[in-house]
Amino acid sequence: MEFVGEHLLAGKVGNFFVIFSFCAALLAAISYFFATQKNDADWKTLGRISFLAHGVGILGIISTLFFMILNQYFEYYYVWQHSSTELPLRYIFSCFWEGQEGSFLLWAFWHMVIGVVFLFIRNKWEAPVLSIFGLVQAFLMSMLLGVYFFEYRLGSNPFTALLREHPDFSDIPLFTNPNYLENLDGRGLNPLLQNYWMTIHPPTLFLGFASTLLPFALAISGLWTKQYKEWLKTAIPWTFFSIFILAIGILMGGAWAYEALSFGGFWAWDPVENASLVPWLTLVGAGHLMIVEQRRGGVMKSLLFLTFLTFILVLYSSFLTRSGVLGDASVHAFTDLGMSGQLLLYLLTFVAISIFIFVLRYKHLPSSEKEEELWSREFWMFIGALVLFISSFQITISTSIPVINKIFGSDLAPPVDAIEHYNSWQVPFVIVILLLMGFSQFFNYKKTEFKKFFGKIFTALLISAGLAVAIGLSMQMFNPFHLFMLFAALFAAVANLDYLIRVMKGKIRFSGASISHAGFGIMMLGALLSMGKQEIISNNTSSYDVTMLGENYDNQESILLMKDDTLQMGDYLVSYVGKEKEGVNIKYNINYYTKNDKGELTKEFTLKPQVQLNDRMGNVPEPDTRHFLFKDIYTHVTWAVLEEKKDDEVEKAETQNLHVGDTVFLKRAILIVDSLKQASPIKYEELMPDDIAVEVALTLWDFDTKAHKMSPVFVLRDSSKVFSIPSINEDLGISISFDRIYPNNGSIDLTFIEKKSEQKEFIVMQAVLFPYINLLWLGCLIMSIGIIISIRNSIRIFKK
Amino acid sequence: MKKTHIVGIAIIALAIAAIIGTLSDSSTYENFDVAFENPNHEFHVVGTLNKEKPTIYDPKNNPNEFIFYMLDKKNVEKKVILHKTKPQDFERSEQIVIIGKASGEDFHAEQILMKCPSKYNDGSGEFKTPEEHNEQNLSS
Repeated sequence: MEFVGEHLLAGKVGNFFVIFSFCAALLAAISYFFATQKNDADWKTLGRISFLAHGVGILGIISTLFFMILNQYFEYYYVWQHSSTELPLRYIFSCFWEGQEGSFLLWAFWHMVIGVVFLFIRNKWEAPVLSIFGLVQAFLMSMLLGVYFFEYRLGSNPFTALLREHPDFSDIPLFTNPNYLENLDGRGLNPLLQNYWMTIHPPTLFLGFASTLLPFALAISGLWTKQYKEWLKTAIPWTFFSIFILAIGILMGGAWAYEALSFGGFWAWDPVENASLVPWLTLVGAGHLMIVEQRRGGVMKSLLFLTFLTFILVLYSSFLTRSGVLGDASVHAFTDLGMSGQLLLYLLTFVAISIFIFVLRYKHLPSSEKEEELWSREFWMFIGALVLFISSFQITISTSIPVINKIFGSDLAPPVDAIEHYNSWQVPFVIVILLLMGFSQFFNYKKTEFKKFFGKIFTALLISAGLAVAIGLSMQMFNPFHLFMLFAALFAAVANLDYLIRVMKGKIRFSGASISHAGFGIMMLGALLSMGKQEIISNNTSSYDVTMLGENYDNQESILLMKDDTLQMGDYLVSYVGKEKEGVNIKYNINYYTKNDKGELTKEFTLKPQVQLNDRMGNVPEPDTRHFLFKDIYTHVTWAVLEEKKDDEVEKAETQNLHVGDTVFLKRAILIVDSLKQASPIKYEELMPDDIAVEVALTLWDFDTKAHKMSPVFVLRDSSKVFSIPSINEDLGISISFDRIYPNNGSIDLTFIEKKSEQKEFIVMQAVLFPYINLLWLGCLIMSIGIIISIRNSIRIFKK
Repeated sequence: MKKTHIVGIAIIALAIAAIIGTLSDSSTYENFDVAFENPNHEFHVVGTLNKEKPTIYDPKNNPNEFIFYMLDKKNVEKKVILHKTKPQDFERSEQIVIIGKASGEDFHAEQILMKCPSKYNDGSGEFKTPEEHNEQNLSS
């Protein structure tokens, strides 16, 4: 069938660019390879041209894809899947990298940018480094090829037409119309990802991942060209740049989780989070060993190992998150795009290259035969790097349980309490790291006299111990690990500040290490206080008894809030005052009040946690947080009735025989029969002059002890026709009719019809108080400033 | 013996400890039969919601208790008491993983994971019948 209005040219252009940039990357890899091997200028020129051509190709792919998304070409699978006519323009970037293909492009884009920058600074390592870049890029481009080799599809092409990707759709009536495009709209961007975090987090994180390639490529180049140490000069500033960007990317993910997802904190040891943290840990280790190697030497093997490992772990993390292997283990259940084989090949190729070149050059690697000095800075930096390695090893093993299951056919499940599991390992590691950060600044390179050292460090030890005791007592921290970490974090911050002031005398140029280590200490202090002393304030204040629940189950973390009721919660009184709908979000307005001595309520603030009606992932709660300088109040709706209940659902009518003075227990009130009297025709329009009408006065006490009056009427018309004028009370959801009078004993029959559903609306919500979480962000800022200073300083050394 | 050797041995010891620690902390995926043979031990049980039976959630009585009936992979049905808020959109889940202990006739779950479509989902599973697909696209 011929379809009308399909823009097939755009797809062809896009496809051309994919193939072009793939071939150019391969050519760059090969040309630069020979340029390195033969030290030949012509090969190098060819490599240069092909790498730049590859760059043009990537820009071409990206522009074409943007063009297609902007113009809403839903005949293309990628555009159809991630965009829609309703998508606001500001989310166009999010839409671009929502899918795997887009995120591969983002990754490849950053590699390309770094490669081109490296090319233009005319570094002497250009040829070998860009040869490796070319190979990496060829692998990444192959992920976009979408070419079939017999039955196996290589890559997933973002320029595939919808009907080609889904031939099964051709049976759908929509597509039997040649003019189907007029009726077709895209599936749209997942509402959960429609926020600014999705615009800034992925490019930062992928720049971080991409920047790990340069230290890796430089290390390989050093071994390849047998210049075992020279590459360090170039590698150090780039490595710390990578550490900086990756740290920002990871923390941004944490901030996103904290602000907009209901993880209940900024770090949940989720496999996806772990996958980004682990390479950072090894990279930090590698960066520090580079400094040690340059100053003194003797750690080349460990340094190479960690540098190689970092890049391999980046590839491994991409394999974990994209291949679907995480399956049941992660809350994010990823689906396989059928590329796990290809991803694995990419990973294993670079593992093989690393091992091959390491083994090949092992004998020639510089090493030191002399005994390490125990009281030297480099020895403890080395220990620190090893602790980082062990820490990343533990996280990797635990995160890889699904992979272990795949390989060994075992049936292990992840630890029941993942956060507890990781913390029990990582808290001791971080304590060691923090202590090392504090101590090692005061060691000299090469050799330190112990007594002198102790004299210098004593002040910092004393101050931080004092602070730790004060904070521990005032915050009632009793967990020994927490207390120890509190001391260690304070010590790292205090010792480094002390070093900065007393030893460096505030010389900013060389103070990068002190500032960044102090920042890390403050960051860990914030993490410890906010997570360790977080307080779920939404428990046990509801008027409903929870003690009967019994033994072990005391995770009463949510409370029920009836609309307009006010409950005590922590230091606040909270009230759910109503909801409003905004697009796909339902916002629940919750007022927080404080009470003064006189018992008067003052409204402090309103939080609007929301539930997103997300037809792709199910309904997602999104928290709202009130930030104070020293604490955050975090609130999220854990359950709410989303669909409006029909009001006319009623219980079965029930008739009771009653006397004046009797009491009846109803669902929402207690009823008392007050008196019987003749009904006045003036009051009831339905009555005719000759009717005999009796009215019964009823008082209903609701559970707020408010009285409601009701008066159903019994009518006898023309001595034969009997009926009732029922009385209805909307507030109580009840209708009462007066059916019969028994003259012999004076009793009457009343029929009650009660509404089934409670009229009153309610939500179940959770509120958590995170103390001092701002220390975490402050520490992050200080650490960033410190790293930037270090990078500037190392570039200065490098230029000398 | 050089200090680096001592350090190396310590590292290997820690690495082995980490592996053993992870293995001992890790739970196992089991079916209800095993969980009920070993009451008061924690297990992960994978299964599906029995949609024929009602789910009970009465937040007014207790917002932190939710009861449903689950079929494990061997199609054994048990009553599950989740000591948490009912997950929003629970009925839509295709697969459930519950984490907790068997006690008496019931399984007491402390945590629940539901399999739901994710951001990396290719979405093809969403349109099971052409009609549904059609509706979805034409409605907007």
